[in-house]
Amino acid sequence: MLIGIDVGGTYTDGVLFKQGAIIATVKKPTDDMNLKSTLLEVLDELLPSAEGQKIERIVFSTTLVTNLLATGQGERTALIMLPGHGLPHDAYDICPDIFFARGTVDFRGNVIEKLDQKEIDDILARIAAAGIKRVAVAAKFANRNDILEREIQSKLAASYPDISVSISSEISNKLNFPRRAATTYFTAMTVKEWMQFAAEIDQAITERGLDSELHILKADGGTFSLDTSSRRPCETVFSGPAASTMGGLALSQPHLNSVVLDIGGTTSDIALIIDGAPLYASKGARLGKQYTHINAFAVNSVALGGDSCLDYDGEIKVQNFRRGAAACFGGDYPTVTDAFNCKMDLGIGNAGQSAEKLQQLASKAGMKSSELCRQVVNIVIERLVSSIEAMFREWENEPAYKVWEVVNRRKFKLDQIIGIGAAATAIVPQVAARMEVDSFLHDYSPVANALGAAVVRPTLAVELHVDTPNNFFSVGPGGIRGSLNDRGGMQLGEAKNMARQYLLDMCREQGMESYASESSFYMEEQFNIISGWSRSGKIFDVGIQIAPGFISEYKGVSS
Amino acid sequence: MKPTGILFFPAFDWAISPTHPEREERLLYTRDQIFEEGIMDLPQIKEYHPRLAEIRDVARLHFCIPSVEAQIIEAHLVSAGSALVMADAFMQGEIKNAFAIIRPPGHHAMTVSHGNRGFCNINNEAIMIEYLRQKYGIKRVAIVDTDVHHGDGTQEIYWHDPDVLFISFHQDGRTLYPGSGFVEELGGPLAHGTTINLPLAPKTTDAGILYAIDELILPMLEDFKPDIVINSAGQDNHYSDPLANMAFSARGYAELNSRLAPDIAVLEGGYSVETALPYVNMGLIMAMAGIDYSNLREPDYNPSRFKESPRNMEYIKKMVAQQWNAYKNREETIADNRKKSGNFVNYNKSIFYDTEYIYEDQINHLRICQNCGGFRMIESRAHQRTGEHFHVFCISIPANACQQCQEEGRAAYQDMIKKRPFDLLYLQDRVKDDLRIYKVHKDTETVL
Ligand SMILES: [Zn+2]
Ligand SMILES: [Zn+2]
Ligand SMILES: [Zn+2]
Repeated sequence: MLIGIDVGGTYTDGVLFKQGAIIATVKKPTDDMNLKSTLLEVLDELLPSAEGQKIERIVFSTTLVTNLLATGQGERTALIMLPGHGLPHDAYDICPDIFFARGTVDFRGNVIEKLDQKEIDDILARIAAAGIKRVAVAAKFANRNDILEREIQSKLAASYPDISVSISSEISNKLNFPRRAATTYFTAMTVKEWMQFAAEIDQAITERGLDSELHILKADGGTFSLDTSSRRPCETVFSGPAASTMGGLALSQPHLNSVVLDIGGTTSDIALIIDGAPLYASKGARLGKQYTHINAFAVNSVALGGDSCLDYDGEIKVQNFRRGAAACFGGDYPTVTDAFNCKMDLGIGNAGQSAEKLQQLASKAGMKSSELCRQVVNIVIERLVSSIEAMFREWENEPAYKVWEVVNRRKFKLDQIIGIGAAATAIVPQVAARMEVDSFLHDYSPVANALGAAVVRPTLAVELHVDTPNNFFSVGPGGIRGSLNDRGGMQLGEAKNMARQYLLDMCREQGMESYASESSFYMEEQFNIISGWSRSGKIFDVGIQIAPGFISEYKGVSS
Repeated sequence: MKPTGILFFPAFDWAISPTHPEREERLLYTRDQIFEEGIMDLPQIKEYHPRLAEIRDVARLHFCIPSVEAQIIEAHLVSAGSALVMADAFMQGEIKNAFAIIRPPGHHAMTVSHGNRGFCNINNEAIMIEYLRQKYGIKRVAIVDTDVHHGDGTQEIYWHDPDVLFISFHQDGRTLYPGSGFVEELGGPLAHGTTINLPLAPKTTDAGILYAIDELILPMLEDFKPDIVINSAGQDNHYSDPLANMAFSARGYAELNSRLAPDIAVLEGGYSVETALPYVNMGLIMAMAGIDYSNLREPDYNPSRFKESPRNMEYIKKMVAQQWNAYKNREETIADNRKKSGNFVNYNKSIFYDTEYIYEDQINHLRICQNCGGFRMIESRAHQRTGEHFHVFCISIPANACQQCQEEGRAAYQDMIKKRPFDLLYLQDRVKDDLRIYKVHKDTETVL
């Protein structure tokens, strides 16, 4: 048996899943001040339905880190940046306690300027004097040479053993210094609170006599173990939309180009699935005004949902807020759901109530009720369709760096729209009809988010950079560095094998080796390095991943 | 404030040959630098996606012999198309200015193209300018060629166009490819003074180049009042460039662009792929986006290393004064030329294609018009790299041609179809945007 719990901003959903069927579902309002108790309440309501059978795996998504970042209530953390010579320092407006220091590495990993020992000593003394107990360090091109970051780390360990340090070269091997610095900072400032939360959850599970595997959902639509999560807690942001998108994918057919349209009370989230693979945000998750190296789905949120209320002020308005439930569910005002209910004769809830409240608004507007419904339905459909199409264009217009990418210019060809959320039944078929594609709705659509959490598999992406003339390689995440055995004749195939081996090692370490065989390469670049007029070696960049997908136990849903 | 448009197209899958300076690796470290800096994430920058230029966009400018398709590969269309993307974004008001960091380069490509010259097959900036004229009705254009090599292709293309001010500064042609770009090269008889060359001595520094910008180029732009200013932005004046011998710095390039304030900059040469390009490109992006670049410098930069010699400064000052006069007196000179020339001015030209060892012979005929810059007819013959020999006749009616020039040009094309002494006849009527090729032996006409 599997349990999936999605702690959302408003509601927390949970499902108990066994052999293709959902045995039980629970929905509760989320208590932002006490996420742990909400989580455990939902768990405790699900457990009786298991009737004592073994729960193999519990996966949950949580807004803990999102809330910490939004309210700035993480641990006070100092960020030491070594930006070298480029952008002015005021371009890096990441956090309040920020310190800039000398020391520069270039793109080939050459140290151009050493640390200024006195300057670093002064900065560390100021941090310690301020009572700050956690430090994040980010140097430009630390992904190509981490020596400057390591030096600062050692200095701290020697002089201030009570201060904890995170360094950017361990967080990510990708280019983009501001994103790497921000990700390192966000990791450092949330890790303490996260570890406490994780320990409490772990204890609560043990107290209930469960020996289930415990996983956390990540923004990239995969999971990681509770242990691994304490290394990079900020990867748990935006796991709500990831849960819904993966849930939609779990319910529908794979290998199609789909839009997952999650229609909530006052917002709709749009995600794209391309040939069965969810689309990632090209610049990483955006936290506040800062882009990061956190892999997250590209999600377009529209302020429009089933409960969005309707108004008339010279013209019909679909508002971006709610005044309560839809009329058909006992609300006092007509909503988007009511308009679709009447227009399409859907018989949702008390359809008479829908008609009555709509008629009141129609009289005020001096039009027929049918005309009012027609206008509302049009507004909703057009707003959703234009947001969906904007996402297609954005994907089509991603920068391209090779001739073949431009020549084989991609065009998004939509196959289906997958509807998720309570109001999807009313709205999604109409949007799909307007776009001339199939709509896909499932009985489990309203709990697709929790189902998604229950059945997704762990993910892992490993990036390898090799510079043969410099006899150097680096692997991320984790900040592994080394020199090559045979610097001369390395070919792309060997670099790929090397990346695969590191992926395998990390899989073993994280208890996910059973997925290692499903890895795939998502980046394979090689460049000849010319010195004068002759070849001196190669640079390789290889990326290999276990992409988002489903655990082997999951074979689809019955019915 | 509108953002600066950046189109970064490094063509990571295109090279002239594996060890050639124009190889896949050329913009690799530039990519590393600008990605690592994270400058593309800033709200001051908007990044764009490349597209393919159309065959017509190329044929509007060039006479590709025998056809556009025969002279170029897709990489060229993407590079030229990228300049067009920037042109559209600028004209449609999405951005305040634009920088196309693209390859292959183009400023050595001339009107007639039998092959690759100086790493260039087609001229990206000039294709963009004719596109701007066609699509947006732009009339007057200024091009400042800041590449270390003389922009001989662009100069040849606009040699007779009084509405294009072409200014090139470069390392003296007696010491560097392509061996042209001397002060006396001032443009054709009806466009005299709108081609301006500033051959600079090797080792000229930031101070020398910025003096020419301040004292000559900016006043000329002020006076010429172009509708648009283009920087043909080579980066090989840099002190570390392996193909040239100048002493310009990354900050000097940033300063130059800040003062010049071009509407659109298009990358040309620059072959110091590791020690210059990453920093020069950063400097250009920052300058165009109005980001403070005082913290930018190359790892080995030492401001005291390069000092302009008083003697060279004296030379530059003299040349600036001389060229200012040539520019200032251009209308008198042109009026004079109109009086003393007949109906046509004819001249021969030999063009050498260094990359492919092609020798082209041309006879040019320019109509001396009382109302416009005149139209041009070019007789061209060459043995191409394939061994094939072509003898062609090309008629180019410029975008700002008067009605009579247009009519006479079109009539000349019809006339040649009857006379038939060539393999191929080309008509390029940029006023009507009517582009034709006539295959004499097959008696067929293709309308592009
Ligand atoms: Zn030049
Ligand atoms: Zn050049
Ligand atoms: Zn004329």
